[in-house]
Amino acid sequence: MSIFDNKKDSNETYRIIIFLSPFLILLFLAFLQILNLSYFNSDKFKTQSESNRLYQSKIIPQRGFIFDSKNTLLVENNIQQDLEINPSFIENPRIFLKQIADLLELNLNKIESDFYIRATGKSPNEPYILIKDLNEKQIAKLSVNLKKIKGAEIISSFSRNVIHKEVMAPVIGYVGNISREDIFYNPELSQFKSLKIGKTGVEKDFDSILRGNMGYRIQERDSNGKLIRNISLEPPIKGKDLQLSIDLDLQKKLFSDFNGRKGALVAIEPKTGLIRALISSPTYDPNLLNTINDYEEVKSLFADKDSPLFNRALSGQYPPASTLKPFVGMAALEAETISWEKQIIDSGEYYVEGDERPYKGWKEGGHGNVDMKKAIVESSDVYFYSLAYDLTINNLSPFLEKFGYGKQSGLTENEAKGILPSRKWKLGYIGEAWFKGDTINMGIGQGYITATPIQIALAYAALANKGEIVKPRIIEKVGNDSTEKVSKLNISLSDNKNWKRIEEALLGVVEASNGTANNIYDRNIRIAGKTGTAQVKSIGETEYKFLREDESLRDHALFVGYGPVEDPKLVVVAIIENGESGSAVAAPLVRKAINLYSKNEK
Amino acid sequence: MRNSPLSFSVNLKIDKSQNNSSQFDYWILFSIIFLCSFGLAMIYSSSNSLEMTIRQGAYFFLGLIGMLLLAFSNFRKMEVFYLHSFWPALFLLIIVLFFPSENSKTSRWIDLGLFTFQPSELMRFILPISAASFLTKNLKTKMKDMWLVIFVTLICFYLVAIQPDLGTSIIILLAGLLPVVISGFPWIYIFFGGFLATLSLPLIWMSLYDYQKQRILTLFNPEADIYGAGWNIVQSKIAVGSGGLFGKGFLNGSQSQLNFIPESHSDFIFSVIAEEFGLLGTSILFLIYGILIYRLLMVSFYSSNKFAKIVSGTLSIILLAYISINISMVIGLLPVVGMPLPFLSQGGTALVVNLLTIGIILSLRKEV
Repeated sequence: MSIFDNKKDSNETYRIIIFLSPFLILLFLAFLQILNLSYFNSDKFKTQSESNRLYQSKIIPQRGFIFDSKNTLLVENNIQQDLEINPSFIENPRIFLKQIADLLELNLNKIESDFYIRATGKSPNEPYILIKDLNEKQIAKLSVNLKKIKGAEIISSFSRNVIHKEVMAPVIGYVGNISREDIFYNPELSQFKSLKIGKTGVEKDFDSILRGNMGYRIQERDSNGKLIRNISLEPPIKGKDLQLSIDLDLQKKLFSDFNGRKGALVAIEPKTGLIRALISSPTYDPNLLNTINDYEEVKSLFADKDSPLFNRALSGQYPPASTLKPFVGMAALEAETISWEKQIIDSGEYYVEGDERPYKGWKEGGHGNVDMKKAIVESSDVYFYSLAYDLTINNLSPFLEKFGYGKQSGLTENEAKGILPSRKWKLGYIGEAWFKGDTINMGIGQGYITATPIQIALAYAALANKGEIVKPRIIEKVGNDSTEKVSKLNISLSDNKNWKRIEEALLGVVEASNGTANNIYDRNIRIAGKTGTAQVKSIGETEYKFLREDESLRDHALFVGYGPVEDPKLVVVAIIENGESGSAVAAPLVRKAINLYSKNEK
Repeated sequence: MRNSPLSFSVNLKIDKSQNNSSQFDYWILFSIIFLCSFGLAMIYSSSNSLEMTIRQGAYFFLGLIGMLLLAFSNFRKMEVFYLHSFWPALFLLIIVLFFPSENSKTSRWIDLGLFTFQPSELMRFILPISAASFLTKNLKTKMKDMWLVIFVTLICFYLVAIQPDLGTSIIILLAGLLPVVISGFPWIYIFFGGFLATLSLPLIWMSLYDYQKQRILTLFNPEADIYGAGWNIVQSKIAVGSGGLFGKGFLNGSQSQLNFIPESHSDFIFSVIAEEFGLLGTSILFLIYGILIYRLLMVSFYSSNKFAKIVSGTLSIILLAYISINISMVIGLLPVVGMPLPFLSQGGTALVVNLLTIGIILSLRKEV
């Protein structure tokens, strides 16, 4: 007996079975799928369910501290409390953000825009900091209410604090988030996301030392993101401390003399290459950038036409002007195209045969009969025009190269090289042949040649060392290990007495009554040095008075010197942009630096 | 019908005693009690809320009484009542659109103070009974009546679909159309209707809400958006898969205990069962459901009364549809639509209605 022959009309039964069957088939398929999931693929899902509960999070290490040469703390880390959010736990962003804004008494629009800007391009399970540096009231409110808000958590983090903000900014630099570009140049950074790395200065150059090692923590969390327990912990390792060669006291006193004027100063110990002061002005507050939330806040810094972020001491490329003259003279002595005694008549103008155009000296009427010493002391242009003309570029450039012109100083990879022109250089960069006039201009450090303040300082350090070129250093100690002096080159002259004679000429610049820097004469501490006035724009005399009104077109004032001459402790170069006269504004800075430092040393 | 082609395959001899007595079907009763008690335990496991469990227990108790009352009632006397109860059900279905409970984003619930209830659940229970009653009022079902039922069903479908509640609206469609097709709606029209429905799929697609579209798209590649729309499916599959053969043990499912499974106490309760009791547990569940459905269908197959046949058949198919669709969506075979697992998922109205369904079928059983 079957259900069909049981009843007279079984058409309904027949139909019930037909309409039942799709669901029976579906149920059968479902059973196969369950078999597939929980029998054949069970291991895979078991692993997934494990990792579902367990979250690995990174613990940011504390960056190394930075001290000055006398162990004064320069850079520390402030502990701050931030609000971190995990987007994957947020159910309704609008409500979530409203709750947060009400609780912290913050502007909802600002938080919303931050949230959406940051949410883009991130995987939704990657936690990030939404609100930085909460104040005490906010922390108190949050810790009471956070349990009700899914996906938010207070975490502590470090913010970098440069104690003597503007004074130290060009040396220390600032830190920032790792950018795509950073990862491109240094792929290992990709594992340090959410860590801040040095962007400029010592923070950048010694980032790998200061950075430390990441810590890791494995935690069990539920799907609301609430912590259930910590499973394992590998603590982070703090970065190593650095001791700089910078003398904070010296740096501060010199910096205050800049008074906001544009310029740079580098003070180096010639014997060791240790940099005792490094100033670039105007400057900035690095802590603004260290704690930056978004670019808008510091946009003005980047847009400022005085470029406060630009390190003029390392990357400002200036014509060395008259500070180059001693080297031109030495090159001519080496090439034997001149002698110490030979006199040249300086009538204020220099002519090349077959050329009507005059090359003018800075002093109207000239300096009369000048020999090498007088030419340096009084800074005769005509004498060095003539010297350079006879010497030719092929002899001049290679000699200057020995003193470090046209090459990075070796302090960091992020400094400028300056330009040391040669025939080949001009053909390649300007696309023109070298003219004799180019050599003549180069004789007084003008024309195509440019140098950075640190290059000039190092070249004069070689004069102070009587030929030894040392590599500049700004770090005295890494952790407890002292850095060591590196001697790059020992320049020997055909007549080693020439070192002494050049020094005497440079002494004359300060000490002779006709010296261009006679204004800084001080018999207690003897300084050898050279003034320079770098022309911003070559202009005719008639236009000159008029143009002086526009400050940005005024000449740059330079002075470079070392002292005490008997035992040089410090080489200092000072450049004041648009400062006009090297002796008036730059030389006193150098004097002050050497005096302060010599007294300190005693 | 001795030479019916299907006769060889269906050899379902229910013991004779059942046929000539109105003895109670204890298979059905015990499987119901098992399922509901198991459901209460799983609700507790997945929600960790004793309050929610007790509440559900109260509904179970209420529903059980309702079921027994219906089971021992005389359905012939009730038929007129069933026929006309359609109107209050329709009324409630309209009312809920205008006065929905304020605790929810959708207009599915009516708030009665002490508890809320879903008119759509009531309708999917009333509709097949009143439709069957309407269709069998004459000895031979008239085409005109069938069209009328189809028309009314479409209205109910629309009212539920705009709540919005895609899952229940599909059930409403089954609840209204199954009586029509079972009572002899011509095959040619059925195929034609199916053809029309297929053609209108793009139209339906366009009328779906974004989140509903997302759920359907997610089905094909849940891993593409693990933390968004795919979260439910991926997490639920992890739960089912990680349960393995024997499960992680009661109250030990990490997926459910740590709330990775969404709606784990209602629509996704199956994944909690699979996680905590493994393949063994789900197999037992399939077995119990199998016994229940089999016994319910037998009522229909052995019934001599057309009304009883249609009602018990339709209600059984709907029950099976709930079970198969719910399980399929939980393991990623079908898109996620709101459809609870009968007798197990948390939800008072659904439980009571399901128990009443059993009660009705049990009362029809006496007519075998």
